[in-house]
Amino acid sequence: MLARRWIWVGLLFVYQGGLSQDSLKSVNLPEVVVTATRNERLMGALPMPVSLVSKSQIATMGSLRLTDVLGEQTGLAVVTQVNGQGSGIQLQGLNPDYTLILLNGEPLIGRSTGSLELGRVTVGNIRQVEIVKGPSSSLYGSDALAGVINIITDPPHGSQGNVYARYGSNQTVDLSGNYSDEIGRLRFTGFVNRFSTDGYDLAPEHYGKTLSPFTNYTASTRLHYALSPKTNVHVSGRYFTERQQFDFEVITAANDVIRTSGEGSSSDWNFNPVITHRFGNRLMATARFYSTRFQSATTLVNPSVDTVYYADSFRQSFVRPELNVEYFFSDKQIVTFGLGENLESVQTQRYGDASTRNQTTRYVFLQDEWNPMPRLRIISGARLDHNTLYGSQVSPKLSARYELSRAITLKASYGVGFKAPDFRQLYLNFNNSAAGGYSVLGSEVVTARLSELDAQGQLQGYLFDPSTLGKLEAERSRAFNVGGRVELGSFTADLNGFHNSIDNLIETQAVAITKASQTIYSYRNIKRVYTQGLEANLSQRLSSSLTVRAGYQLLYAMDADVVDQIDGGTVFWRDPQTLATKRLKASEYFGLYNRSRHMGNVKLFYAHPKTGWEASMRVIYRGPYGVGDIRGSIQGEVLPPADINGNGILDVHDNFVEGYALVNLSVAKSIAAGLRFQVGVDNVLDYTNRLYIPNIPGRLLYASIGYSFSRKIRSDKHN
Amino acid sequence: MSNSIRSILFLSFVVSMLAACKKDDPTPVTLTSTTFSNLPADPPSGGYNPTNGQPIGVTKQYTLFSFKTGAVVAHADSASAKWDIGFNGTTIIVNSGTSGPGTAGAFVQTGVFNEIMTAPVTGYKNDDKNSTSAPLAIPKGSGNGWYNYSSSTNVITPIAGRVILVKTTEARYAKMEILSYYKDSPATPSNTSVDRYYTFRYVYQGSGTTAFQ
Repeated sequence: MLARRWIWVGLLFVYQGGLSQDSLKSVNLPEVVVTATRNERLMGALPMPVSLVSKSQIATMGSLRLTDVLGEQTGLAVVTQVNGQGSGIQLQGLNPDYTLILLNGEPLIGRSTGSLELGRVTVGNIRQVEIVKGPSSSLYGSDALAGVINIITDPPHGSQGNVYARYGSNQTVDLSGNYSDEIGRLRFTGFVNRFSTDGYDLAPEHYGKTLSPFTNYTASTRLHYALSPKTNVHVSGRYFTERQQFDFEVITAANDVIRTSGEGSSSDWNFNPVITHRFGNRLMATARFYSTRFQSATTLVNPSVDTVYYADSFRQSFVRPELNVEYFFSDKQIVTFGLGENLESVQTQRYGDASTRNQTTRYVFLQDEWNPMPRLRIISGARLDHNTLYGSQVSPKLSARYELSRAITLKASYGVGFKAPDFRQLYLNFNNSAAGGYSVLGSEVVTARLSELDAQGQLQGYLFDPSTLGKLEAERSRAFNVGGRVELGSFTADLNGFHNSIDNLIETQAVAITKASQTIYSYRNIKRVYTQGLEANLSQRLSSSLTVRAGYQLLYAMDADVVDQIDGGTVFWRDPQTLATKRLKASEYFGLYNRSRHMGNVKLFYAHPKTGWEASMRVIYRGPYGVGDIRGSIQGEVLPPADINGNGILDVHDNFVEGYALVNLSVAKSIAAGLRFQVGVDNVLDYTNRLYIPNIPGRLLYASIGYSFSRKIRSDKHN
Repeated sequence: MSNSIRSILFLSFVVSMLAACKKDDPTPVTLTSTTFSNLPADPPSGGYNPTNGQPIGVTKQYTLFSFKTGAVVAHADSASAKWDIGFNGTTIIVNSGTSGPGTAGAFVQTGVFNEIMTAPVTGYKNDDKNSTSAPLAIPKGSGNGWYNYSSSTNVITPIAGRVILVKTTEARYAKMEILSYYKDSPATPSNTSVDRYYTFRYVYQGSGTTAFQ
């Protein structure tokens, strides 16, 4: 029963690591992740690229929100959305929409325009963040196309608690408290957090702020009740609410300026009861009933005439009952089987009316973990999803890990990932009547709406054959990850080469022009893209208390059709000065917008448990990239697009956002009474780029104090 | 802090609702061809309506051009064969079919202007506004014909490598490349540039042969 022993040993170590969370001791301990296989496994034993950010590392970095943590990880870029609505994580060069974000294994919702706002998630109660790269639809279904990020919160453990307070630049205040206890067979933990900031202003000469002030609250809990030695009940829940005050100067087409003010709010909750039962020694079953809601609303008022200038709202719900069985055939083979159903609904006035849109997905998945010989581990699996709208998807995955020697391990995986068309792509019925406007129609409504407009004589003409519009298919990727790990004493190196290709990426398509010269857009599966590159993570322990780490990602993210056209000699560029037109060479094509060819980081971590000192210095670099068609402006300034030479693609003759490095420092001291003090500076060099990267606020100083207390820990359970 | 973007989003979204399209101005560069600068294509005398972005004070008339004379043809001659092509906003018509009494034809070819040394003898289309598939010889719409439109910056950019081949009303051949839609051809036009002014270069073969030498 080798595999199982790993699990229990790993669990104990993690708990101990959690207790000594303010030291870096746990870095030495085996790391257990759950995301890669849906079961707790030693990270080092997994055949796919998996990384983990531990609680102690997050504490040393002084991070507050999930974006702060993820933005410092190799190969992840925090990118703003095309329309500026929130920021998300780009993984292996794929957009934020293509990475599934889980909280304790269940999806976070609220992708009103594609990506999740990860600033919603506080890291105050996070035990670890797990990052699986490569398609994981074989276990998780839709959206796990580029990978999966799973946020694991602290489980209830022992009788302990802590309080934390931090104050920093921009009147940013973070307060949190955590308490965990055991009463008989019940263990529970509760966490509360309040975060507020006055925002910041990168363009003080303009009205309003770059980041408007906001305040949010998070409350969460986890309970664990041992019904019997074989049956356990877990319940987790979370509530989040946020309010933001805006003051905006709106510039009209005639360059008139209107000052507006307004409020944005969002909230979400989730609730997840889980029962696990062990049947004999070989079978473990888990039943879950996850439900979650998200809603957001925005209102903008023109105070001079006291009229509502703009209003928008979005509500989403998601319910998932699921049954999951893990069967231990032998100490060499474990099979996991699951089935479930996703019930989703969305309501927003952008769909043209107040009715709720629904879709249902039913799924089954099967995974086999097999050690045919001691040095070889093979994980294979597949999942079938059937959706009421876009039909069935089969997502297989195969991965293998082989220990070449004590020092060298090889890994390879192949997987198919998919992303279902989202509600917006299906149902959007959005007319922007102002400003030479435009309309966007989802694929489920476009045909009917176009013939309605045509019958009313409102169309000037079609730009695209309307009979070929309609059903959208799920976007599908095929991906290879091949790499390995080298461990030589205090040195480790992880390397991974990746290739993702998507043949039917959904893009907007102009379909018609109205008699008022407004363009009508819809969505189609048209684009072929691929991303490929190399990721390297190196770590060297310099002394018992000092570790240096370095990470690098090389990325080529290309539009496959553009590559073909360049090969065919049909792509050109016009020199904006001389107006001369030249044929573009393959070497001059840079690739997709918003991708940096090079990204990297260098980090120093210091921890000296005896004296309680810890410190870190992290340098995060992002290389040059181009921005595409970003709608609108930042605080009244219009963004010049990258493409300046008339070919609509990003080539080396275009405008680039210059590369930049962020340097973050932190120092902390723990003293015996459970007190911990920390000071830090984020973005020491005060780098800002208000037009293209408004989410970097400039230099931030902070200081925090934490107090932890615990009663004698009862002996660890040995299940 | 990522939340910043939420405010930006909002702002940008509203702005995009309001922003209108306006541009302008050409500046010619002469190679071995003739460059015609700042051909007005019905520029709005009253600018643009601030609420709906529609142009104010437009005549809705096409500015007509003859390759033979290399000059604008008076609108009074619109019902004649004196002109070959006409411009209004981003729309370009040819003098044939539903657009005029002539027999002119045109099509958009992908290639480098200077590399097209010979005019094709076939492939020229006429305007037929009743056709749902190809109402105009030079298609309208962003990405379809000669230009791309950015809904974020409201800028019209001539697509590099699009050459318009024309068979004139007198069955002579011409090739043309549109260089700018803005007055005096600014290198980086913005939504405050004055639009509806074409700068283009062309080669006209008046002898009836197909050679563009």
